[in-house]
Amino acid sequence: MIAPELDLVPRRIVLDGSIDVRFALRPGDRPLVAAGDTLVPGSRILDRVRDARLVEVRGGAVADDARPGDRWSPTAGSGIPLRRGSSGPIGELLFELGGQWRMAAGEHSEPVDTPIAGVVRDVRPGVGIGVRAEGRVIHGVEALGEPTRGVLALGAEPGEGGGPGIVLRPGSLDIGLAGTILVVGSRVDAEALTRARAMGLRGVIVGGLAGKERRDFLASEARQRASLHRLPPFAVLVLDGAVRRRIASPIADIFSALAGREIAIVTDPPAIVFDEPSIQLPVAQPDLVRVRAGERAGREGRWGGLAGLRRFADGSFLEAGWVIFDGAGTVAVPLGDLERFG
Amino acid sequence: MPASIDIDAIIGLLIDRSQRADPELARSLGYEGRKASALLPRLIARSAPPQHLIAVAASERAVAPLADAARRTGWWVSTASPDGMDPLAITAAVLDPGVDVVLLGAGEPPGPDERRAIEDVAALVAAAAIRRPELTVLLAGAMSEQLPRFETTDGDRQGEVLLAPAATAGDPPGSALRELLDDVRAPRDDARRAIARGAAALADTLDRRIEVVDIGFNGGLRAVAAPGSGGAPATSSAVLVAEACLVPPNPGDEAVDRVIGWSTIPIDRHRLRDRLRELRYAPWSDAAGDGARLRLAAARAALATLVEATPEMSEGPAPDLVVASGGAWAVAPGPAIALAIADVIRRPAAVAIAYDHARLLGPAGSIPDASERRQLLADVADDLLSPLASVVIPAGIRTGRNAGRVTVRAEAGTSQLDLTPGGIELIDLPPGERATAELRFRDTVRLGGRGRTFALEITGGLGGLLLDLRDVPLRLPDRPERRRELLEAWQDSLWVTRDR
Repeated sequence: MIAPELDLVPRRIVLDGSIDVRFALRPGDRPLVAAGDTLVPGSRILDRVRDARLVEVRGGAVADDARPGDRWSPTAGSGIPLRRGSSGPIGELLFELGGQWRMAAGEHSEPVDTPIAGVVRDVRPGVGIGVRAEGRVIHGVEALGEPTRGVLALGAEPGEGGGPGIVLRPGSLDIGLAGTILVVGSRVDAEALTRARAMGLRGVIVGGLAGKERRDFLASEARQRASLHRLPPFAVLVLDGAVRRRIASPIADIFSALAGREIAIVTDPPAIVFDEPSIQLPVAQPDLVRVRAGERAGREGRWGGLAGLRRFADGSFLEAGWVIFDGAGTVAVPLGDLERFG
Repeated sequence: MPASIDIDAIIGLLIDRSQRADPELARSLGYEGRKASALLPRLIARSAPPQHLIAVAASERAVAPLADAARRTGWWVSTASPDGMDPLAITAAVLDPGVDVVLLGAGEPPGPDERRAIEDVAALVAAAAIRRPELTVLLAGAMSEQLPRFETTDGDRQGEVLLAPAATAGDPPGSALRELLDDVRAPRDDARRAIARGAAALADTLDRRIEVVDIGFNGGLRAVAAPGSGGAPATSSAVLVAEACLVPPNPGDEAVDRVIGWSTIPIDRHRLRDRLRELRYAPWSDAAGDGARLRLAAARAALATLVEATPEMSEGPAPDLVVASGGAWAVAPGPAIALAIADVIRRPAAVAIAYDHARLLGPAGSIPDASERRQLLADVADDLLSPLASVVIPAGIRTGRNAGRVTVRAEAGTSQLDLTPGGIELIDLPPGERATAELRFRDTVRLGGRGRTFALEITGGLGGLLLDLRDVPLRLPDRPERRRELLEAWQDSLWVTRDR
């Protein structure tokens, strides 16, 4: 029998159903799919223009019923051919002023593949491609990098008890992890992330990412984006926040069950998507609670009932619940610091 | 209770506790068993989710007043103009799916720097609006002449295209555009907009001039209300600033600096940024120990942002009562809230400070009928606000050993105290107790008016009477250690429950 007061603990959804995922399109990017298309992982969905610039289209070259966002290609004797011998569409109409269209076009583009299976909901040039993802979802708080797919590998044992969790160091990575999305535990530094990308890893899943590491990684990503020869897409999914805390055991248990299977990281919304209907995934005990913040951040225990208004450090009076920790007895923890799983 | 908890669970707990506290009364009111929560009438006030507006104009000069009007009505604002961006970048900015509204404006008449580019930016935004039919477009000032560009016949458009006054129209300048932006951002029963109406009703009920400072997850609101006289209704005005939220999303260097300036915990910038990000992800967590002090530092920084954005409210007459509201204050000890407000809102005046502890001002203000609103507030007036302190802030005190003397005459007795410049003096005065404070200064000071002797009617609070003899405005040492020590010393005197 579960105490009725357990519903006073905020619930965190471990596994979500299907979600709508968005792939960003910038002006000039060329979508390669249409609404209603069915996608499988690895399907090419867009060509991303790397050097988009504004180009004037000569008068008379654009159809009268043209709309902003339409693709435009040069025909003989009209327009400005941007690439010698090019016969396909080479630009995206932006706006018309004084009978003259402007478009976004570029010389260099790169293909983008979908890491998820699903059905294209809508395609809006310059805005994005919406896809209803197939499979199940674990949400994170932030995803950096680009949508990616890889085989899930456990770089740490995030479910093991005690201690603050494991911090992945650059030296822990080797080439054998190429192609994987690695679960690294409680925290990771920017150097390890950069090395992971260079080693061919497709992504990293981490409990917390500090602001400094985040900033350094984003700078490294920007440099990578500017280079001519790009590496495969790489993403970092942050599950909890910015401070160190181990991955919640219900989520770590799911990762353990999925180890060796392919999963995807999407960035909008930040989440892991996987489509493994045959796997029986573990379900968290209903009375399992986790300390989300405060001095015991990351610790887990069993719900022991409502403790009522309690005095905490520095004289703060907060509504609290009893949590039974293995080996540490029963402790009152503010309700705002707790989460349960469902 | 943390806002992330299911509301029915909270109501169930409340009913259980009320039944235990007074079973007979609960029975007479029909609050028996957990099912009672379903039978209770509910008044729900929700604040609109934060929205992003992009202000676009033909020049940097023209875009500034548009952005200012939007910032003062609760929008997250970005700007674009051909002066600083190429057309491709402006198109990308307008097409960003995070943008909810485009405010495309020009002066009336347009300035010489705008004329050459008005058609260009109008054509650009009109083309982007075709791609994003859900986008709401406001055409302000002379830009309204570009309306035909936005009139489509294909029926795709779901967002509105509205004509708006110029950025400087109205009295005071900008008020007409702000009024429209307020209506576009949120419905009239939005919880934050309702706080201003609640403040007006409260001003009428108490017959006092009221100022409300609400610091919440998605913005800060400052509202002033004065009671009506001669049968006229109460008047109120409010400014909502998204940047004055407890912690902005992805706090940048400026946000971190602001909080560091008020922090009493020794912490480096990187760790502070991480703590602030955590506070943004889970605003109800980590509310004890260092977390409580960090939250109050963030609340002070947010309040300072709000005060900076509303100089005209600071220049107006001082209120009789300042009401603190919003989740930022929810877990702080009452006297510490009073000090936080006295730290930031520094006017030479004597004011009472209270806390909207049940957060009823918003729901009360959302009642459409003004007389019903006043009636509700009159019914709950005694329980609505938690009195925190009466604060007296004289300005113009010269440094020295002694600035004068205060005599407080209350029912319980009389107490006298020397006034030491630069410090805070506390006099115990329980909530609800009235007293007279006679202040005799050695030199002329400002306290409402100029003078050396003042007699003030004051009421008590959780922090009693707070005589704040610090500088107006507050000056803090540049050295971080010294500043922390000073802030810590001031807070220690009022954070009476703190572990020492």
